Amino acid sequence: MSESRQITVSKKGVPIIAIIALAVIFATGLFVVGFDQGHIFSLVYGEQAFTDLYIHELTHDMRHAAGFPCH
Amino acid sequence: MNTSLFLIIVLVSGAFAGLIHGVTNLAIVEPYLDQAIGMENQNMFASGEVDDTLEFWVEYEGYRTWQKSGQVLAGVILGVSIGSLFGIVFAMSRSSLPGRNNVKKALILAGIMWVTLYFIPFLKYPANPPTVGDAESVVLRAILYSSFIAISGIAAVGFYKVSKKFQNKKKILGLIGYVAFISLVFVIMPENPDKVTAPLNLVEGFRATSVLAVSSFWIAIAITLGILWNHFKPEREIATSN
Ligand SMILES: [Zn+2]
Repeated sequence: MSESRQITVSKKGVPIIAIIALAVIFATGLFVVGFDQGHIFSLVYGEQAFTDLYIHELTHDMRHAAGFPCH
Repeated sequence: MNTSLFLIIVLVSGAFAGLIHGVTNLAIVEPYLDQAIGMENQNMFASGEVDDTLEFWVEYEGYRTWQKSGQVLAGVILGVSIGSLFGIVFAMSRSSLPGRNNVKKALILAGIMWVTLYFIPFLKYPANPPTVGDAESVVLRAILYSSFIAISGIAAVGFYKVSKKFQNKKKILGLIGYVAFISLVFVIMPENPDKVTAPLNLVEGFRATSVLAVSSFWIAIAITLGILWNHFKPEREIATSN
C-alpha cells in the first residue's frame, strides 16, 4: 500500500513550525545551561530557588568548560 | 519537508553531540576544574571563611560529585539547545552549502559556526576556571559575552547575504566585510573586567582543554546530523497527491 505514496523533493524549504519549535528549545536550553541563576526553579519554589541555585550547581562545570561566564 | 522526522534527527544529534561534549569535559577539563576549586578552598581556609574539617570535605565531595555528574546532563541539554540552532541553520542553508553529501555540508557549516559563534568570541572573552572572576560582575560578563556572540552571528548572516548579491570572485567581499566588521567590534567592545588571578599554567591548560572539548561537540554534531540526514532524508515530502 505504500506504493501509492509518492515521494518528491520539496522545494518549499523548512516548515515555519519546525523553526519556531527549535528556536524555543535553543533559547530555553541556552538559558538553563549558560545563564540561569535560580530563575527557572523560582517559578515553582519561589525565592528559595535563588539561594539554592540547583540548576546553577548542576550546570556549573559545563558552564565553565563551555566558556560561559560563571563566578 | 517531513517536519517530525526533521525535528527528531536534529534533537537526537544534538543530544548525542552534547553527551560527547560532557564526557570529553569529564576526561580532559575536569582535572583543571578540580585544581582551581582546590585553590578556592585553600583561599577560604586561609581567610577563615570555612574551617578545614572532615565535615567540610565530606560535604565538598558530595557537592563535587553532584556537579560532575550534572555536567554530563548539562552537556546533553546544551547539546540539544545548540543542536537546535544548528538544525535550523543547516536546513535553511543546506542547498547552498558546498559538498555533495550532507556530512560534508554539515562539517562546513559547523566550521563556520564554530569560528563565528565560538572561537572569535572566545578570543575576546576566553573561558575562565573557577577562582578567576568576581561574582559581582557575572551579569555584566554574561551580557558582554552573549552580545558579542549575537553580533558576530548576525554579522556573519548579513555579510553572507551581501556576498550573494555579488558575482563570482567578488563574493569574497562578503568575507572581507565580515572580517573587517568583527575586528572593529573586537577592538571596540570592553574587556572582561576581572583580573586573572590564578596561575597561568592552570588558566592556559583549562582554556586549551575547554576549546578541544567544545570543538569535539561541533565535530560530533556535524557528523551525526549529516549521517542521519543522509539516511533519513527529511527534505523529502510524502505528497498527498490524488
Ligand atoms: Zn563557577
